[in-house]
Amino acid sequence: MQEFNYHSIRAEKARFGNAIVGLWRIVLVVVAIAFAIAGAAFFMVGEAIGWLLLGATAIPVVILEWHRGELFDVPNGPTEKLSDTLSSALLGGIPKHPTPLDIAQAAMKTPSGQFMAVRFGLTSNFFANIISNDTSATPQVWELALRTQQEAGVPQITGAVMAVALTRSFAGYETILAHMKLEDEDLLQGIAWRQHLRELRQIHQAPRRTGGIARDWSFGYTPLLDRFGRNISAQLASGGMLRTNLETHHKALAAMTDTFSTRGRQNIVLVGPSGVGKSTLVYAFAEQLLDAGSTLPSHLKFRQVIMLDSAALIAAAPGRGELEGLVMRVLSEAHRAKNIILCLDDAQLFFEEGIGSVDLTNVLQPILEAGAIRMILTMDEQRLLQIGQRNAVLFNSLNRVNIAEPDRREVIRVLEDKIIVVEHQRKVVYTYHAITEAYRLSLRYIHDIAMPGRAFKLLEAAASYADGSFVTSESVQRAIEETVGVKVGVATDEEEREKLLNLESLIHERMINQTRAVSVVSDALRRARAGVRNQERPIGTFLFLGPTGVGKTELSKALADVYFGGESRMVRLDLNEFVQPEDVSRLIADGAEDPNSLTAQVMKQPFSVVLLDEIEKAHPQVLTTLLQLLDEGVLRDIKNREISFRDTIVIATSNAGAERIREYIDRGYKLEQFEEQITNELISSGSFRPEFLNRFDEIIVFRPLTKPELLQIIDLILKGINKTLALQKISVTVDDDAKMYLVDRGYDPRLGARPMRRIVQRTVENTVAKLMLAGNASAGQTVSLSLADVQSIFASEDAAKQVIEETTS
Amino acid sequence: MLIVGFLGWWYGAGWRARMVAIGERLAKTFDFFSVDLLLRTWFAPFRQIGTDQAQPGLAGQMRAFFDQLVSRIIGGIVRTIMMIVGTFVLVATGIAGIIEGILWLFVPWFPVVGAILFAVGWVPYAGV
Repeated sequence: MQEFNYHSIRAEKARFGNAIVGLWRIVLVVVAIAFAIAGAAFFMVGEAIGWLLLGATAIPVVILEWHRGELFDVPNGPTEKLSDTLSSALLGGIPKHPTPLDIAQAAMKTPSGQFMAVRFGLTSNFFANIISNDTSATPQVWELALRTQQEAGVPQITGAVMAVALTRSFAGYETILAHMKLEDEDLLQGIAWRQHLRELRQIHQAPRRTGGIARDWSFGYTPLLDRFGRNISAQLASGGMLRTNLETHHKALAAMTDTFSTRGRQNIVLVGPSGVGKSTLVYAFAEQLLDAGSTLPSHLKFRQVIMLDSAALIAAAPGRGELEGLVMRVLSEAHRAKNIILCLDDAQLFFEEGIGSVDLTNVLQPILEAGAIRMILTMDEQRLLQIGQRNAVLFNSLNRVNIAEPDRREVIRVLEDKIIVVEHQRKVVYTYHAITEAYRLSLRYIHDIAMPGRAFKLLEAAASYADGSFVTSESVQRAIEETVGVKVGVATDEEEREKLLNLESLIHERMINQTRAVSVVSDALRRARAGVRNQERPIGTFLFLGPTGVGKTELSKALADVYFGGESRMVRLDLNEFVQPEDVSRLIADGAEDPNSLTAQVMKQPFSVVLLDEIEKAHPQVLTTLLQLLDEGVLRDIKNREISFRDTIVIATSNAGAERIREYIDRGYKLEQFEEQITNELISSGSFRPEFLNRFDEIIVFRPLTKPELLQIIDLILKGINKTLALQKISVTVDDDAKMYLVDRGYDPRLGARPMRRIVQRTVENTVAKLMLAGNASAGQTVSLSLADVQSIFASEDAAKQVIEETTS
Repeated sequence: MLIVGFLGWWYGAGWRARMVAIGERLAKTFDFFSVDLLLRTWFAPFRQIGTDQAQPGLAGQMRAFFDQLVSRIIGGIVRTIMMIVGTFVLVATGIAGIIEGILWLFVPWFPVVGAILFAVGWVPYAGV
């Protein structure tokens, strides 16, 4: 069993070291200076007491020196035991007979304990609530601390290690972690993060070998390159950068060193999507070259990496000939200087004509082939292939190095490093949750850029939503909600919760009956906003079956309007326009070519209702394409980008089986009694394949509307018309018998309630218009339409039929 | 106990750390003047001045040769001066380091020495 030795020499040193902080350090410095000055002054006047004072000066000096050299961070003892591995900051704060709570308080006073408090929420208050104040529980804490230290692979039991061990010592550890939305692995990652920052500081404090004053004397001046390029090496030499030692970068760095060390073609093309870290890799390579202590060949050491600025070159030489001449002079200067490695970032800008880019293949190709100048090019896969298509010789002369997207663990490590700069610039502190949330959300909502760039972009944006200078997971959620217009957090504000709880009644304000459909859709939305749905699928996928004009589309519109923020939040596709196999490409077209493709619209508006109308008319290949969407909530567009549909409600509508539904209803069946039968019939008739229908969460049958329901629809339509007329301060009422007359005229068994709106609008609006023109209706007046008024408009059956025909045409 | 710990560190790890720091300072000075590099490139053209590709013809080649020669002579002079200065500074830094290393051993006894001298009553400027 591990025991804490309060009286060990290491513990005494640690306590003394902890005592010499802040004011005491200042006092010691002041005393040393005062003694030295006073001693010298007494000497000047010939007093022997000067000896005493000068000698005494050594006391504060040696204490300060001892503190700096040992007490500040007492090294580990010779054994693996507790007293030898506790960090001095922690060891110095632990009392003689500590309880777990005492240990927690000591840990929280250490810098690494405070780190865990800030980044993970493991604060003093948190421990005060869960940790025992009984000394009998202390040995268990020591055991856990040692085990945690070994698991984390760190040399000392720091405040961070102890914070994790104390959390683990709590009986309800798993529950607590779940409540904090953390996993055990996250806490170990936190310890590693803290340790990494400590090591980075040590690297930066370590003396640097720069090559000295004469390093560049044998190499030429580069005035042109200084003007049209950015000297990365000079930047690194002056300020340095934080290094992340990534597995994914090791191979690429080795390949770069290898290429430039041998006699082959002296170029490297780093191929990978934007945001994957190509530029970071160039920086890492440049930093490696500056390290005098590295094992690089001497002909590579201290070479300067200069990134050419294409915009500056184009701006300085407007004509093509002038530009080629200028580039030739720049290249010649690089060649003459003998220590330059040129970097063409986004190299496609130098190999194709376009806005801000110019094709300099004729100038660059001979140099790349001959290898006269060392060059690093960066570009994405597609651009490289395009160059290859145009110019196979150029393509073959490039030494390609692929940069793969790092995995989640590595992305988190990169982000931990990169946020340090943002924290310094924006005066904010990121919690660990903010980082993991940025990873999760950016993966889903940010396109056109790879990891870790996409997550970092989101973290930067989240700094604007910091809460009391803390960037939390909520800040990240708000950032994505504001920029993408999607709701990602659990509904917390009162207004939204009210809306969710009363969704059915809100939808029924503009929709009559179809209660089952309304309730199923509302439930799906409530599940999503309460955070209990499957995050790897759309919010809900529904197939609405039923005859025309029974409210299938209206429900989709109502949903978009009531919850998603307006009818414009509905992405609607008529699948009767997708009847050919080649129409699949239109479905997933790139937004730049077809902004109305399904993927382009959802990429722009990921929080929406997706309405796939008349799905039975789509080509089977189109339906197959949609399977992945229904299953996993993603669809790959033509550029192979993964577009997320996980924040959409997907509604497909179909008239298939409408006749059978009517038959069942006419025979007196209730919906619940024949829903399954209808589905089976659709499969057996070949209208849909079973694997397609099985992908939907629910298949909802809409039944034809009854006359009383049509009367209610007329009321809804009148409400809408009155809303329009409110601008003229006129309102309209229609007598009940007149409404019944309109129902008789407007109802068509084939078209449901669809002609109704036209009939009512024409009747009411025409009448009001005539009355207003005749001066019989003015502001503040209520126009009342009787049966006779309505009948006069529909004097004959034909008039109504004509209107119906117009609707259907 | 603490005093023992202090003395143990001062004459053990503390002194070694001081020696390492002095060594680092010397290495930094050496790196700054990079005498080895100066030696290796003693007569290399200074800043590649005048090392443009030679013009065709004998006259052009002669001109390039003389340009290079001038550049190498300038380089040789500048590097020689720098090597002399560098060597001087390195030696001075080394001597300062040795003195510092020796002085380190006596610092903890300064209060005792001061107390004895105070008791003796001798002062350097007494009677001046």
